[in-house]
Amino acid sequence: MADKTNNPFRAELGGEQVDSSSETALEVDNLSHWFDDFRVLNQVNLTIAPGQIVALVGPSGCGKSTLLKAILGTQPANEGNVLVDGKAIRAPSRDVGIVFQHYSLFDFLTAEANVAFGLKLDQTSTPFRTFMYPKWRELRKHHLQQAREFLEKVKLGAACGKYPNELSGGMRQRVAIAQALILKPKLVLLDEPFGALDEATRESLQMMLLGFYQENLKAKSEGRTPEYTILIVTHELNEAIYVADRVIGLSRFHEDAEQGAMVVYDRPCPVYHPDDPKDLADFVEQREELRKAVFDPEYIKHHSKYVSFWKELET
Amino acid sequence: MIRQPIPTWLFLTLAASGLILAIFAYGGLSARLTEENPSQSVLPGVKGFLEGVEKVTKARGSESRPKPSWISRDIRTTYWRLFSGLVLGAFVSILVGIAMGAYTAVEAFLSPVITFMAKIPPTAMLAIYMVVFGTKYEMYVALIGFGIFFTMVQSIYQSVKKDVAEDHIDKAYTLGASEFEVILEVIWRQILPRVIDNIRLHIGPAMVFLIAAEMLFAAEGFGYTIRQQSRLANMNVVYIYLAILGVTGLLMDYALMQLRRWLCPWFGD
Repeated sequence: MADKTNNPFRAELGGEQVDSSSETALEVDNLSHWFDDFRVLNQVNLTIAPGQIVALVGPSGCGKSTLLKAILGTQPANEGNVLVDGKAIRAPSRDVGIVFQHYSLFDFLTAEANVAFGLKLDQTSTPFRTFMYPKWRELRKHHLQQAREFLEKVKLGAACGKYPNELSGGMRQRVAIAQALILKPKLVLLDEPFGALDEATRESLQMMLLGFYQENLKAKSEGRTPEYTILIVTHELNEAIYVADRVIGLSRFHEDAEQGAMVVYDRPCPVYHPDDPKDLADFVEQREELRKAVFDPEYIKHHSKYVSFWKELET
Repeated sequence: MIRQPIPTWLFLTLAASGLILAIFAYGGLSARLTEENPSQSVLPGVKGFLEGVEKVTKARGSESRPKPSWISRDIRTTYWRLFSGLVLGAFVSILVGIAMGAYTAVEAFLSPVITFMAKIPPTAMLAIYMVVFGTKYEMYVALIGFGIFFTMVQSIYQSVKKDVAEDHIDKAYTLGASEFEVILEVIWRQILPRVIDNIRLHIGPAMVFLIAAEMLFAAEGFGYTIRQQSRLANMNVVYIYLAILGVTGLLMDYALMQLRRWLCPWFGD
């Protein structure tokens, strides 16, 4: 059964506020962004600890993509800071991985080469690959071996030598996730990763994320830093509650709507094990709360009672 | 039915039939013209072609100062000019096309000039090349190089803009790529099949520019010999040259297609 009461980070944090950069994977500090006169984001604040899987939900056009681009570094915000592992992000870097909705695998690489691509770029340089070719070949074998192992982990061992156009949507998305995770970035952004997939494939990928979360828990229990810190953007509320240990709602439906979208919801979610049966009835209460707080234009109130993740951990 | 596939045997039979029909049509017309005028050379028969083959393959010059046959001289001259012009034109086009597609400042700087120059027929620029480079090897290389450059650079630049998604570039950065690696490992590899196709498609125009220039200025080469022999109504020689041009064109096309299949197996046909 799902552990609905004990968020694993509660014990770890011992009720202390996480304010040290070394203890945070992501820190978004008073982030505001606007296009000409149109304010998109207003004073967005967000802290994610290593090992958390956080779902970001919000109405269409509320600025989720703008926030994601600011975190990724492709479109830095007009005001505020984004710190990943304590370092300011102003451009894309290997510290923040990304998986897009439409896979974005490199067409010219096989599945294993796609996964090994990051290892190649991160660990070697063009002069090394050119002038120290024998050494590079040796290292390459090692990289491909690592990639094959990772593909086995995401249940794609048989597809190693296939090109993206020979893979189904679900298989491509597994490769894309493996490609982003193999580098062990401090944070991985999943931008509506399962939006284009059928229900069965979507569920198997959701379970894959739950598996990663279990690995995080194991790492924590062994005193290691968890490897997978994930921020997943989704428009599926059930999915958000199911795969994440925390849901954040971004919306313009608040008292200061003119100034742009803010975080209007930030609460923990029950933690599921991949083998747990998925019972949608479990989600009803939180889903309705989310619908009201984030998606209901009539609910224009001060939302502080829903932005309570860290307070709830303290208590 | 539109795009309905047909069995391989039927495909091959139809292809062979087209070829055989063309040969029969030529043979029939040639026989009819020869019947009307036995000395006609407009559509030579088998005998005329054999004479033509002998003429073009016969070694020239004297024993003390031998000269190559027409065909070996012209093949060497024309295809060296073509190869040099194509390689130079394609190389510069690739560099400039990628720079324009990757950097907005380069695009803004070069785009108007290249769009304007692409509209001028390269053969109309022959006079300029002649004044600048004379009528030697360099002129033909410049004609082909510049002739294909402006259109090829536009295609490559469009390919960089359209075939390389923004997401791919962002993702490469998140995987630790430097700017140079994004160009070399992502942009170049993504557009490579388009580049090879572009070179394939530019062989035809390059040949047109070259043959036209050789007809006007050269003292050797395919264009020169075709012009000379057509003036003398030696159509048996002209047809042999045209056949060689066609066959080598097909071979180059096939070789580049195979190269693309080998280098870019992911691209398909």
